[in-house]
Amino acid sequence: MNLTRFKNRALTRLATVLPGLKQRFIDAYQPRASAGEIPWIKPAKPLRQAKLALVTTAGIHHRTQQPFDMNDSDGDPSYRALNGEELFNDFQITHDYYDHTDARKDPNIILPLRPLQEMVRAGLLGSLAQTHYAFMGHIVGRHITTLVEKTAREVAAKLKADQVDLVLLTPA
Amino acid sequence: MGLIQREIERVGIATIGISIVRDYSEKVQPPRTVFLRWPFGHPLGEPGNLPQQRAVVFEALRALYQIETPGTIIDLPFRWRRENYADYQPPSAAELE
Repeated sequence: MNLTRFKNRALTRLATVLPGLKQRFIDAYQPRASAGEIPWIKPAKPLRQAKLALVTTAGIHHRTQQPFDMNDSDGDPSYRALNGEELFNDFQITHDYYDHTDARKDPNIILPLRPLQEMVRAGLLGSLAQTHYAFMGHIVGRHITTLVEKTAREVAAKLKADQVDLVLLTPA
Repeated sequence: MGLIQREIERVGIATIGISIVRDYSEKVQPPRTVFLRWPFGHPLGEPGNLPQQRAVVFEALRALYQIETPGTIIDLPFRWRRENYADYQPPSAAELE
């Protein structure tokens, strides 16, 4: 591991115990501001009939998948398709910009599959998609365009093709 | 995350995002957001706290159905590590349709 990655990881651990450091992280990363109309569609169905998928930027993926590229300082705008039934049996988190000690103990704190599976069993949620998607977050510079114009649109098209009605997004 | 959310909403799928940095959501303007003043890496709370995870998911879904104005950010009332979820009241069926 190179020095920059080591430094990032050490700082993220400190930021979890020292809330003041969180603000430094917030200031250090600024997302691209949006202008113009905000996309908008009403939920197509009541929750009890809807199909929901999760999309996260917490960098979680199956251990068998290629890890996100942590050496590009602009981030990695690619995504991983996640099998919700199997993911938690053998997962990995590749993301140097937050402390994943707790998420490794219980990945539901970044990807709430368990509470959603419960809601499906209770009849409150129609169904959960089989495939969910993970990005890495912390995308800057030239990769913002790749993310917005390519990979985010690919995932949106795949969710649409899978007849997903609702998406819940979680950060890290 | 909000940039991805906007692209998903654009294809006709209703979306809700959980945010732990309000500044980012204000800038990116996703369609709907629930905000929690919690540490990085913990959008659903603490490991093993299922009542907490349920409460956040329920509030996110309530917001998904109840928000009427694009770009709305709802500040959830849950404090970090000082909340008792035993008394939490989930939304009614009517609030989720």
